[in-house]
Amino acid sequence: SPVGMGGEALPPPFLLHENQVFLDLFHQDGLVICARGLGIDRILLRFLRLYCEPASLVLVLNTSPAEEEYFIDQLRSDGVVHLPRRVTNEITSNCRYEVYTQGGVLFATSRILVVDFLTDRIPSNLITGILVYKAHRIIESCQEAFILRLFRQKNKNGFIKAFTDNAIAFHTGFCHVERVMRNLFVRKLYLWPRFHIAVNSFLEKHKPEVVEIHVSMTPAMLTIQTSILDILNVCLRELKRYNPALEVEDLSLENAIGKPFDKTIRHYLDPLWHQLGAKTKSLVQDLKILRTLLQYLTQYDCVTFLNLVESLKATEKAFGQNSGWLFLDSSTSMFVNARARVYRISDDKISKKSKVSEKMDIKERKELKRELVLESNPKWEALREVLKEIESENKNSEDLGGPGQVLICASDDRTCAQLREYIIAGAEALLMRLYNKTFGKDERAGEEWIKDRKAVKSKGNARSDKGPQAKKAKVEASSKQNKIMKKQDLTLTQMMGKTEEENIEEEMEGYKELSSSEEISIEETKPEDFHLNLASDAYYGIFKTPLTIIHPLQGCSDPYALTRVLHEVEPRYVVLYDAELTFVRQLEIYKASKPGKPLRVYFLIYGGSTEEQRYLTVLRKEKEAFEKLIREKASMVIPEEREGRDETNLDLVRDSTSATVSTDTRKAGGQEQKSVQQTIIVDMREFRSELPSLIHRRGIDIEPVTLEVGDYILTPDICIERKSISDLIGSLNNGRLYSQCISMSRYYKRPILLIEFDPSKSFSLTSRGSLHQEISSNDITSKLTLLTLHFPRLRILWCPSPHATAELFEELKQNRSQPDAAIAMAITADSEIVPESDKYNPGSKDFLLKIPGVNAKNCHVLMNHIKSISELVTLSQDKLSEILGNAVNAKQLYDFIHKSYAEAISQGKTKR
Amino acid sequence: MPVSWPARVTAASSGSREGAVLGELPPGSEASTVPPAASGDSDPCPTLKPGAKSNCIIVSARQRGNPILKFVRNIPWEFGEIVPDYVLGQSTCALFLSLRYHNLNPNYIHERLQLLGKTYAVQVLLVQVDVKDPHQALKELAKMCILADCTLILAWSPEEAGRYLETYKAYEQKPADLLKEKVDQDFLSIVTDCLTSVKSVNKTDALSLLSTFGVSHLLPIRVQTGPCHC
Repeated sequence: SPVGMGGEALPPPFLLHENQVFLDLFHQDGLVICARGLGIDRILLRFLRLYCEPASLVLVLNTSPAEEEYFIDQLRSDGVVHLPRRVTNEITSNCRYEVYTQGGVLFATSRILVVDFLTDRIPSNLITGILVYKAHRIIESCQEAFILRLFRQKNKNGFIKAFTDNAIAFHTGFCHVERVMRNLFVRKLYLWPRFHIAVNSFLEKHKPEVVEIHVSMTPAMLTIQTSILDILNVCLRELKRYNPALEVEDLSLENAIGKPFDKTIRHYLDPLWHQLGAKTKSLVQDLKILRTLLQYLTQYDCVTFLNLVESLKATEKAFGQNSGWLFLDSSTSMFVNARARVYRISDDKISKKSKVSEKMDIKERKELKRELVLESNPKWEALREVLKEIESENKNSEDLGGPGQVLICASDDRTCAQLREYIIAGAEALLMRLYNKTFGKDERAGEEWIKDRKAVKSKGNARSDKGPQAKKAKVEASSKQNKIMKKQDLTLTQMMGKTEEENIEEEMEGYKELSSSEEISIEETKPEDFHLNLASDAYYGIFKTPLTIIHPLQGCSDPYALTRVLHEVEPRYVVLYDAELTFVRQLEIYKASKPGKPLRVYFLIYGGSTEEQRYLTVLRKEKEAFEKLIREKASMVIPEEREGRDETNLDLVRDSTSATVSTDTRKAGGQEQKSVQQTIIVDMREFRSELPSLIHRRGIDIEPVTLEVGDYILTPDICIERKSISDLIGSLNNGRLYSQCISMSRYYKRPILLIEFDPSKSFSLTSRGSLHQEISSNDITSKLTLLTLHFPRLRILWCPSPHATAELFEELKQNRSQPDAAIAMAITADSEIVPESDKYNPGSKDFLLKIPGVNAKNCHVLMNHIKSISELVTLSQDKLSEILGNAVNAKQLYDFIHKSYAEAISQGKTKR
Repeated sequence: MPVSWPARVTAASSGSREGAVLGELPPGSEASTVPPAASGDSDPCPTLKPGAKSNCIIVSARQRGNPILKFVRNIPWEFGEIVPDYVLGQSTCALFLSLRYHNLNPNYIHERLQLLGKTYAVQVLLVQVDVKDPHQALKELAKMCILADCTLILAWSPEEAGRYLETYKAYEQKPADLLKEKVDQDFLSIVTDCLTSVKSVNKTDALSLLSTFGVSHLLPIRVQTGPCHC
């Protein structure tokens, strides 16, 4: 079928190397690190298929909902009966035991698993094993590591198998891979780089036909790129000068143009962010902007680029802050050239006759102020050439079984939309529309330009790039009118999704008829919008016959959108408008899994551009990462008891003395600890943070319950509310912390506010130089001050990291009795147990405090004068004034009580 | 070491005052930090006994030469003979500790805290974090503060430390409104907020109650107690 979307349910064939990966891992637990795009998902899928049966119980950690959906879809289409299920908070805690005992594969939310392991709701002894996806993320303090530890403590036989395709993640840090393996309790490391001999020789046999097209940038683009690189270099030098501690290698120009650079630099600078000067901060910002500029230069059209540049200049002017680079010569050259790609200011003195030259950017009209140049993207032209080639090849494709379908891939949605418009409407129309949208005021220039172009066309100048445009002239006219309609259509399609399948099927009927009429030539095909029954809705359709669509490489809500589309469309031609490593590899695997089916891949890349450099850097980085891993693997010493299947693995021993790995600061208290098992009561919601895991590691038992007051109950007296810095700021502003402090102080002798800092950020509340001249009530320090003034019993703990918090908790519990979960749970904000210290009824006090005219100061006075709140109604305004000692407050109070509902309503209405 | 304090303050002038200040301290009761007789929000403590009333931060002579005093600019201060390092209001005081000093003299703060006892309702231990690896020391201080009933406040610069002193003094009488949830200031919102503070009343209930009864008729519903009747 030309459509290829029927979806015959045959399990995908397995490739040679995939079999080997599977068998290795099946026979011995371990961590598989596979090259990007080489199909780690296919290997996990194979394990899932194996365990999709009631007799086994397998947990899968670290998958996202979109990935889970993809796996389930794949298994369903393979005809698997006992499909994996998801354990989320939609399944109530009472039903979960049943779900667990029904067996099969389970995708479970980590927070739920932690709680179920702690409360023994999950039958640990029945678990066949755990599969860990994206295993590079398993650092010591994460939820998943906690789950694995709990699992190994309770189940010595089950398997642990881990998967990742992110080798670069192991490149950073000291002995990263070994630490991850320790957290995973695995002894084996399986490495599958792209250059692995088995992979390489196999894929070599099934190579797709590759056409690399090195497009050259226009002179203006080249100059702009050189200018930006110059500025980048200057900024990097400055940054190094201000921060000599930064590692020079990471600050190379090559790294600076790559995507992960921002992360790298913030990784270094965040911990000392509060000490950095304004200069460094603005340099970091500048580097980010410059990288965006570089990306826009090759990714989008000249108008979009100019708009970005102009807006940068405008903001700089508006905010008066500038980091200096705008005044460099290079930056002037960048501005000049960016403008020159869009328009030129004509010189009145030029008396040249307006001869029509072939190059469109040197046409001049005397009377115009702004002459539009609107330089087209060289890659666009290249794309048109490629499409033409495919088209002519498709015309004589009988021996291949009809025309082949085309899949065009570009990095993001915006590029895809632009390409679609370019292919359908042509470069001029697209650029003109963008120009009018962005710099719309100068319409005269636009009109002139159009007139000009028409003249050129009618003269029949047959430049290569105009060929197809001229052919499609009639189509263009209609498409322009339809443009707005189309946009709406498109969003509609996206909203429809898969629910309106009937509609789509109808459409498909019509489509089949159309395809059977054997009309192949592009000219006759009306470029109207059409819907396909594709698994992804991020695509842009261009032609129906042969099916030609554009799909973004990134930014889809479903990470497998492109994979699904690839397998459904089964293109014969793939055009990579932008190159992305993962997808390129995926194409190799795709080709190998369909031997005999022709596949041609076109690479469009700007030769000598930063775009090309970025791609090569990613390739090199991964190769280096694997080489480092291979070396590390060779010298790795793995203890016999690593897997924790007996009692000798120290990581599983929950004795607090051994858990204190780093600095042993414990004092003599250790001698008596054997007597009682330490316990901390933890609120359910806290299991999103890493603190419970770290507390458990110290040998303290955790009781997960739902607490209304406090997050952690350490002793019968100590109640702790934990706040990260952002929580602290938020809850100080919205009043939540105030009411939390009220309830904590009401029910516990020692209410404590724990301020927990992010260890990767600076350990400081305010940044350098952010202090105002005067006291401002908006400052977080001011609010904290006020809070401590109003809650004299509230203690504050400042912890630089969750690790430090866990240590402090352990020490705070020493020689104190254990908390009681039943009592802690019974305490709700409304409970009537009132500690003796408060001689006023808290309920009525809260009530009174909310009435206008009553405040913290006069509240107690008022309560001393009245027996009940109802008595308040009987008091005259004068009497109130006497009690409160303030006539204004008394009037507010009196008016409030005696206002009728009708009055309030009418007042409210006039207000609204 | 050159001392650059303003000349207006002399030790003698403040000497007579400090006895009164100490004498005025409320007993270590838990009650609100707000002076009992203060009447209005806008009224800055008009009924305080003479001698106790001070618009100044009182600074112990021990703190002479401390750079944080340079950053106490929004609030006047003067020296006085006091037990804590700073008296920041009738029931608020502070001890200052630089971590660098603490690492050299770990017993110092212990002695100061013992000397101070539990005389003020809010006793702040203001710690300036001025060492590279403060965590061990901070952990010990945190535990100490819980035992000694102190509020631990960290500052990372003399400016920030000075600002805390200023703010404690400036906010001595400030109501907690700033910390509370913002309620729309129209009548209905206030009534709703008010009624929903009663257990088992939600917003819809509040409105329907209100439309049935007026506020004055609603209040007797909850027959409640004043002091000592709970």
